[in-house]
Amino acid sequence: MNRLFLWLAMLPAPLWRILGADTDQLKAILDMRLMIDNRRPLGFGRRQAQKKDVKHGTLINTFMFTMMGCFYAMPVYLINDRVISMALYFTILLLMITLTLITDFSNALFDNRDKYTLFPRPISDRTLVLAKLLHVFIYVLRMVIPMSLAAWGSLAYLDGWKSAILFPVPLILMVFMALFAVNGVYLIILRLVQPEKFKDIISYFQVISSVIFFAIVYLRPKEMFSFNVNGTFLATDYQWVHYVPTYWLATYWTILGYPLTLGGSVLLSILGIILPLICIYVLVRWLAPEFSRKIAGIDGAEVSAPVAKSNGKKVKASNLYLVLANIFNRNEAAKAGFILAWLQTSRSRTFRMRVYPSYAFIPIYFIYLLTQGGSSISEALAALPGSSKFILLLYMSSYVLISGMNYLIVSDQYKAAWVFYASPVHSPGSIMIGSFKALCVKLFLPFFVAISLFTLWIWGWGVLPDICLAFLNVLLLSICMARISFRQLPFSSMEQAKQTGGKVIKSLMTMLIPFTLGIGHYFSIHIWWLKLTFVFLSSALLWLLWQSYTDTTWDNIRKEDA
Amino acid sequence: MAPIITIKGLSKRYGDKVVLSNIDLEVNPGQIIGYIGPNGAGKSTTVKILCGIIQDYDGEVTVMGKNIREHVMEVKSKVGYIPELAELYDLLTPREYLTFIGKLYKLSDEVINDRSTKMLNSFGLLENIDQRMDSFSKGMRQKVLITSGLLHNPTIVFMDEPLSGLDANAVILVKELLQALKAEGKTIFYCSHMMDVVEKVSDRIILIDKGTIIADGTIEELKQNNSDNLEQIFSRLTSNGDFVQKADDLAAAMNDRNTHDLNSGI
Repeated sequence: MNRLFLWLAMLPAPLWRILGADTDQLKAILDMRLMIDNRRPLGFGRRQAQKKDVKHGTLINTFMFTMMGCFYAMPVYLINDRVISMALYFTILLLMITLTLITDFSNALFDNRDKYTLFPRPISDRTLVLAKLLHVFIYVLRMVIPMSLAAWGSLAYLDGWKSAILFPVPLILMVFMALFAVNGVYLIILRLVQPEKFKDIISYFQVISSVIFFAIVYLRPKEMFSFNVNGTFLATDYQWVHYVPTYWLATYWTILGYPLTLGGSVLLSILGIILPLICIYVLVRWLAPEFSRKIAGIDGAEVSAPVAKSNGKKVKASNLYLVLANIFNRNEAAKAGFILAWLQTSRSRTFRMRVYPSYAFIPIYFIYLLTQGGSSISEALAALPGSSKFILLLYMSSYVLISGMNYLIVSDQYKAAWVFYASPVHSPGSIMIGSFKALCVKLFLPFFVAISLFTLWIWGWGVLPDICLAFLNVLLLSICMARISFRQLPFSSMEQAKQTGGKVIKSLMTMLIPFTLGIGHYFSIHIWWLKLTFVFLSSALLWLLWQSYTDTTWDNIRKEDA
Repeated sequence: MAPIITIKGLSKRYGDKVVLSNIDLEVNPGQIIGYIGPNGAGKSTTVKILCGIIQDYDGEVTVMGKNIREHVMEVKSKVGYIPELAELYDLLTPREYLTFIGKLYKLSDEVINDRSTKMLNSFGLLENIDQRMDSFSKGMRQKVLITSGLLHNPTIVFMDEPLSGLDANAVILVKELLQALKAEGKTIFYCSHMMDVVEKVSDRIILIDKGTIIADGTIEELKQNNSDNLEQIFSRLTSNGDFVQKADDLAAAMNDRNTHDLNSGI
């Protein structure tokens, strides 16, 4: 796939030469960048578990984008009004491409290695700028082409070949708008925050975009489109679309005879051509150069940071983590594990990006499950007190803890774990249980308390024993998973560590545990003695597994890199 | 005087590759041992074995009278290890990192705070104690690393290239520190490629090549009646090539390349 894109990019080589670029260097730089893109983790914070996936990164990305495209193309095959459907489609696509570019492409744009590998070499500015532009172009193509396949195919099938031929024109213009929006957002962020904070802001964008994506996937159909009782789409509900530039792109379909049900004139179509062209002109003329200067500023800040005191991040001294470490741990090694996990989980951008969205996923998924019977969100919420769905909510909270455990053992700085192997710690389990406690106290407990308060508010005090049993069971489930799948020192493994077949089977087996616990609890809701029995059983099991995890020996854990 | 480190028949291999081959060694307490050798000679592997990090080896290793296989925790609690690369959890501040390390060695909060403050102050890092280490230079990280290795007041200190990345003043400070530690009766096992420093600070120099000790003695003993410095002794014992010829070959290869590049228009 990369070969094809590279070949396409280098087709106008004579033109690049006329523009002042060295085409041999240009090809080498592009080849290197595409190779790196191919080996980067996939978008939307997905964890690459298997090294062999890395080799096929482009293919996997293409497949994922195609799948996403099938979803985004829903308006095309759900809504008969072609102009409205295309306006909605382009709006969704523009939003998703912009979000993906903002979050994923920042890694490529701010690759620190550039300043070591490219800047010291005899490469002209024109070659560098052209390489960056072509890289952006290929990056966007690799995303947009598979994303638009579903819509393209649907148009060809539903409307015929004329509609299919027309489709690429507004699509390309929409890409211009996306590039403009991405550059604009980057520049606004760079203007508002310190350069060294830029990547943090981008990571928050990534968190937000993954939550939006998740919410759209699960809550979309009923809330996004309104249909009347006969299932016919009500175009008049969408007057606001009139003012959205993507609607102007959709008005091109009037050329093929499709009506403008929301009104408007040929002026909108003209605007739909002029605006993207203005966007790309402004981008090339002003935004891109300004952006390059700002990026250079970021590089400079990173280079000079080590010696300049003012550039160092002064951390507000707080002893809370020490106080809590002493409260929750008796063993000094456990305190060390607690301290490390407490601090790293706040500071590690990767951890925050991967784990914090799970807080949003739980309510979204809960609402999704509530509305599965065809009722609206308000109807489903109104029916809650009469149901036993608090069980579902309480057990779903375990996702936060499991997600945290998943990323507690991995780190970009996994080599720093040498300190564990050099220190006189008899049982690594002490460190591991300390870090597990930090995760529970910091990430899980506040969230579970919030969910419990919501549960008490909706269902009343009568469910308090169920909250207690659920809390025990969630801890039991988590420690069980930790014992089976995450028996490693905190922040001691490479993220891309290869999963063995045995681990996958273990992981699948652990999926049965919450199901079994939840079902058991569900059937005991109205039988107090059974619930009491479960409390005792769960407590005993929790104690046993807790001890087993704490007693983990050096032989039990896998040394990633001593 | 009983040796503080005794190594008998120590061998280590990674797969088919022999890293250490039948090493015998005794180290007396209160000495600075300069442990030198070319890249890949087995220096770091020896140090990792002596620190109890690598436990899969052949032979007998005794540290402070304890067989390291049987008493690894006791040995670890009394040795300090300063690795070659300053791999730190650099999202933490020095204070937080040293607190974490101190807990691993079961030090009280007061001791950790007191020692880390004083040691960082000596290194001129006190004003950076609450700054995240991700903005630190290599030298600043190295200073934190050295502090972390000495925080628990070890009896033996293993240093693997401790001067890496340090500025001239810090190098002087570390050299003085080595002497101060020696004066306190501590044993220092010092690996380095900086021959002039090793020559100046070491009581005894051990030269290892291809997993075998090829020279062992004081600098005077190694000189063997000639006026070589340690660098010359090192290259005489570990290199069979003529450096002038090798340098000429390299330059010639570069010239060939330049000619080719010019011809190709780059």
